[in-house]
Amino acid sequence: MTSGYLGLLMLGLIVVAIMMGFPTAFTLMGLGMLFGYVAYFDPTQSMVANRIFDLMVQRTYGGMTNDTLLSIPLFVLMGYVIERAALVDKMFRAVQLSFRRLPAPLAVATLVVCTFWGIASGIVGAVVVLMGVIAMRPMLKAGYDTRLAAGVITAGGTLGILIPPSVMIIVYAAVAGQSVVKLYAAAMVPGFFLAFLYFVYVVGWAIIDPKVAPKLPESEQRMEVPDWLERLTDTFGGNALGAVVRGLFSPARLRAAYPQGEVPGVGRLLGSLGVALGPILISAAVFGGAWWYVVIHNAPEPVQVEAVSASQGLSELASSSAGLQSPAASGVQEPPPATGSASTAGLQEPAAASSVQEPPSAAGSASSAGLQEPPSEGAAAPAAAAAQVEQGLTAPPAVEEQAARAAVPEGFYKWFWGLAAATMLGLAVFYRSFTAENLEIQRLLYSSVMPLALLTVLVLVVILFGITTATESAGVGAAGAFLLAWHSGNFTFEKLKESIYLTAKTTAMVCWLFVGSGLFSAVFALHGGQELIERWLMSMNLTPLQFLMLTQALIFVLGWPLEWTEIIVIFVPIFLPLLAHFQIDPVFFGTLVAVNLQAAFLSPPVAMSAFYLKGVSPPHVTLNQIFAGMMPYMLIVILCMVLMYNFPGMTLWLPEFLYGK
Amino acid sequence: MTIQSFLFAIDRISTTVGKAAAWLLIALTALVCIEVFRRYALNSPSQWGFELSVMMYGALFMLTGAYTLAQDGHVRGDFLYGSMPPRRQAGFDLVLYFLFFFPGIIALLYAGWDYAGSSWAIREHSSITADGPPLYWFKSVIPLAGALVLLQGVAEVVRCVVCLKTGKWPERLKDVEEIDVVKDQLEQSTYVDDDARRAAIENVSSIEEAAHGRLGGAAANQSGGGTK
Repeated sequence: MTSGYLGLLMLGLIVVAIMMGFPTAFTLMGLGMLFGYVAYFDPTQSMVANRIFDLMVQRTYGGMTNDTLLSIPLFVLMGYVIERAALVDKMFRAVQLSFRRLPAPLAVATLVVCTFWGIASGIVGAVVVLMGVIAMRPMLKAGYDTRLAAGVITAGGTLGILIPPSVMIIVYAAVAGQSVVKLYAAAMVPGFFLAFLYFVYVVGWAIIDPKVAPKLPESEQRMEVPDWLERLTDTFGGNALGAVVRGLFSPARLRAAYPQGEVPGVGRLLGSLGVALGPILISAAVFGGAWWYVVIHNAPEPVQVEAVSASQGLSELASSSAGLQSPAASGVQEPPPATGSASTAGLQEPAAASSVQEPPSAAGSASSAGLQEPPSEGAAAPAAAAAQVEQGLTAPPAVEEQAARAAVPEGFYKWFWGLAAATMLGLAVFYRSFTAENLEIQRLLYSSVMPLALLTVLVLVVILFGITTATESAGVGAAGAFLLAWHSGNFTFEKLKESIYLTAKTTAMVCWLFVGSGLFSAVFALHGGQELIERWLMSMNLTPLQFLMLTQALIFVLGWPLEWTEIIVIFVPIFLPLLAHFQIDPVFFGTLVAVNLQAAFLSPPVAMSAFYLKGVSPPHVTLNQIFAGMMPYMLIVILCMVLMYNFPGMTLWLPEFLYGK
Repeated sequence: MTIQSFLFAIDRISTTVGKAAAWLLIALTALVCIEVFRRYALNSPSQWGFELSVMMYGALFMLTGAYTLAQDGHVRGDFLYGSMPPRRQAGFDLVLYFLFFFPGIIALLYAGWDYAGSSWAIREHSSITADGPPLYWFKSVIPLAGALVLLQGVAEVVRCVVCLKTGKWPERLKDVEEIDVVKDQLEQSTYVDDDARRAAIENVSSIEEAAHGRLGGAAANQSGGGTK
């Protein structure tokens, strides 16, 4: 049409207008309208018959019927409801007590709670403020280094926009025309991997320099044990599990132990037994699930294992005075990096230990091993590539049963039983010194974390298994959040209204922006702006790596002044058509952008979360200290991106495994 | 009628419509769950379920647009804006409302009117399934939303003028904000010490304000009582 320079002018104007602080959705609409009017201007027509009006209404209607965006209100609603129903400070307390034997337990607990919170909701500001009140002061009081305390809160708080189900990924999916579930699967491993890197950094720092995280005084980390339980363990011996069981079977002795009455009833004892057996039940469920998926359902399924292991790892570490079980387990689990089976085994590993203990090299190499295997032709389950390469020749999947047997990866049984044995060993060690205190910690953990954990695991598993679409699991998730809220008992009608109205406002914000950008980008392309940029980028003869670095650097810089919504909706689409030319998978690109924005949101001096944290911190904490605490996490994110680039399997293996190429 | 009550009157129209539309969320959640149940448990998904849910979503976000504008909830690049004094904010806003907002929204209203009109004229039904639900009411949402946002835009322009005169942003209707969850959570907390809790609950809104005006924290703090 016209020369591309009008398009470039549009792009320049949008940047200026955004900087001037005008609501972006309307800026986009207005610019699109004005420039579109010029582009379509035809002097022979009447003033009001310009075709831009058709374009505008088409784009609006397109936004209104976009079934990808449909899951946004539902996921957002789920987040807001959970935010009001689950008690963060109780969760923090429980997790902190569970990790009390690790170095820097408060910092680790902050990370864990933030990660969990990130799964449930994706709202950054509130999390940082909340954790600032709940975790910052205790850490400072315990003598933690200010930078450590500040860094862990700001970094943990931003994880929510990356870890699925996140709204940002839905918007990217809508912009790029990709499948939401595929993007979720892709963001899964990098998301948890990033959380894991943060964890390694915090614990590593605390080990190298114990001064930054002094041990809490014993009084701070003791869990109150109720009288009846204390008496029970006094009567029946120190092991709480044994005491509960024996108490159940010898009511006479039980009665004798409580001369003043107040004998614990059978119901209470059974409840305690259930709590005490939790780790065993969860381990059994995880292993059973893995067995069912791999052997019966005919494809290895690491996701479920991994998702569940988050909660399982929690509770195990929780109770297990951590050190005991895990080193034992992780010693056994060092996965052989290059065999096909490692791809399953490597990801299953966290099942027995906890997801946080997975050695980083193992994750990278193990999953990339899975990727390198070419998908064999004619396989019934394209996902099970790893196994089929080795067995595909001998077992053509003519009969489904045969295929099922063939799809059990080589070495699965070895790994399965090895891990099961390690877990059992760990559990045995753990239960040998199972005190009444452990029992109470576990009880607190279940009451605070379990409902949320169950819900998030359910939503993720449902998405990743492909049982329902993203929209449907969002709907189920929102309904589940209401159940959870109802269960918690403190969810009033007032809070319901709050969540509904907040969801409505957030949805309107995102979707109007989407409508505006739909018009804007159409007119931008109409003026040849898109083409001009493409030609210009092509003429630079970039290698794919250079292109990636250029775009990511640009997005990183844009992340300073802008919100993720504006970046994803306005700037990312400009690069999307070029991905095919450079042979970059849009799913990979999207995940990279999501991780990248984490770094942008942690970069001084513009990071919002630093200012939120400053607001709730005691006055002696300076902004510079907070920034100093954030910096290393920014570098960790960049390291994570480098690893993602070098091991694309980290991102792409899971979606291909689950949904095929 | 004072200017403030005029502003509140318009705010109230937008807010009432927006909040009413917001309740579609409950219906949407229920509908999606029923659909899931029908598909996976009864194995008989309904014909209209998917389209109806899309329509609910579309109507929901279009009709809450004005409400969101009335609460200053549309995302804006507040990188520089947040640290400007209110008068300069109002000046920029005023110009840009006329430059971008009105052309865009008036076009939306005009184009949407035609679009919905022709849909009404043929009593259009969806053709995705054989016996699709009627589309004309759904398409009418576009001009309706356009009119509501336009009306709210007029209120916003008046706000800018008032702010230019007095140097202070006129009030908005009180509504729930994202940061309010901090208050909710802390009121129920058991492990946070009392002083910290009280301090945080009291300061919540100023924290939000300071975070948005990050570059010139001092300027934003002084202005106080602004829209943020």
